[in-house]
Amino acid sequence: MNMDTKYLNQAHDVVTRRIAGETVLVPVTSGAADLNFIYTANEVATMIWESFDGQKSVGQIVEIVCSEYEVPSEEAAKDVIDFVAALEAAGLVRSDPDRGR
Amino acid sequence: MQPQSYGDFSSILHQKMGDQRAPLNVTIETSYRCPLTCAHCDNNLPMADRQARSSELSYQEHCRILDEITEAGCFWLLYTGGEIFARRDFLDIYTYAKQKGLLITLFTNGTMISPRIADYLTKWRPFSIEITIYGHTRETYEGLTGIPGSYDRCRRGIRLLMERNLPLKLKTVGVSINKHEIWDMKRWVEEDLGLNFKFDSMINPRIDCSQSPLATRLTPEEIVALDLEDPGRKSAWTEHTQASVDRMHLWADGDEVYQCGGAIRSCSIDPYGKLRLCVLSHQDSYDLREGSFREGWEDFLFQVRHKKRTRLTKCVACGLREMCGMCPANGELENEDPEQPVDFLCHVAHLRAHAVGLEVPPHGDCEYCEAGEHYPELMRSLAALEEGSAAEELASMRNERSSFLPVLSEEPAAAAGACGSGCGSCS
Repeated sequence: MNMDTKYLNQAHDVVTRRIAGETVLVPVTSGAADLNFIYTANEVATMIWESFDGQKSVGQIVEIVCSEYEVPSEEAAKDVIDFVAALEAAGLVRSDPDRGR
Repeated sequence: MQPQSYGDFSSILHQKMGDQRAPLNVTIETSYRCPLTCAHCDNNLPMADRQARSSELSYQEHCRILDEITEAGCFWLLYTGGEIFARRDFLDIYTYAKQKGLLITLFTNGTMISPRIADYLTKWRPFSIEITIYGHTRETYEGLTGIPGSYDRCRRGIRLLMERNLPLKLKTVGVSINKHEIWDMKRWVEEDLGLNFKFDSMINPRIDCSQSPLATRLTPEEIVALDLEDPGRKSAWTEHTQASVDRMHLWADGDEVYQCGGAIRSCSIDPYGKLRLCVLSHQDSYDLREGSFREGWEDFLFQVRHKKRTRLTKCVACGLREMCGMCPANGELENEDPEQPVDFLCHVAHLRAHAVGLEVPPHGDCEYCEAGEHYPELMRSLAALEEGSAAEELASMRNERSSFLPVLSEEPAAAAGACGSGCGSCS
């Protein structure tokens, strides 16, 4: 993955809820993520999730994580890439077709 | 980030919530109107009831309430009726709710489900759909619903949902008209369709205080005979009752009328925007057309939920409470007094406890306990159950032609059957 040219958007058919201090991602239509599951995100995952606005590259999101949580960039990059892979596999994010070409 | 099953998520969430009040589970009754006229139903009104229709919340009001309950923390939403599809704009309301990220269960009789509705639900998939079936044969089904053609329409609705692999469960309510077909329904659902099936035999008066549904009630002996006929049901009651007895000291220590999850984790909203502790409890309501959900939940329902009991009844220290349908709403509907024990429920609970081999702990002056005036009758019923005569009676009824009860008239039920005492449920 080229982190600097990859831009992601939250899937339009996933709703983000905050319940009892948890961030919960709820797929709402068929064709999105597996409707048999819901997805909960911890604090760091929530911050990353909220950064998927099609405006920031994955590389920029890694920089934000490094800055906010004071972790080495290699460690942050690995965590973000793993997280992105999990989100893509679950159908919760979409690559922005107009960016990163 | 972890994908979680809904069950796991629910357990963790409820644990995290601790003692915190939050309306995690909200029930919205979209309409009391229904194309069926089931004699046992506690709230159905004719489809053509113009007054009911014109009083129902508008689409915009539904959206505002959905915004507010979501903001307040609702996660599981149940839509029920009447019949949810009695409203032509139900799918619009439903879609708005889905877009709020709510996990939605739909209760329906299935008769109004068309290919268009089934296709729509395939795209906007609900958390669960539950259809009530009223009989295994057309004769019995339509004897209870009172509507020719309803049997075929229900079966079509079930087929349409199953063809689309939607999350469907079927259930029935055991009443005098269909009691001989309950096991046939169970076999059909579980073995032929491969779906989950459940049934309940508890019938309560109408929410307008009319006692007319009680004419369809099974006798305590019939209800318990059904429990005994199903090994799984019998063992579940045994375990449930023992757990109930083990926890009885917790209830006896409390001094509040309500001991349930109403207004702690859940609440209900009727078709006209009245916020209540549950769908059955109608004495106290807050008008969401006059105020916000937050005010209703945080102030009004908080006060209702923490009402102090006014007296000690035999229910307060009864170890059978969790296997008994008695709750303040039932006391309200049947006796016009939330604290007044419902005799029928007490009878069933005591008979059930004896039938599954549980010793009933003493709990005050109770007619169904030893030395109580109904105790000898209870023991006779128990002996009959143990001899199997009640089960035989049920078996023989399978071959009898059912006697059909008259269905509701086309007049609004409140006018026909209200208690006339001026109680809160009727107003």
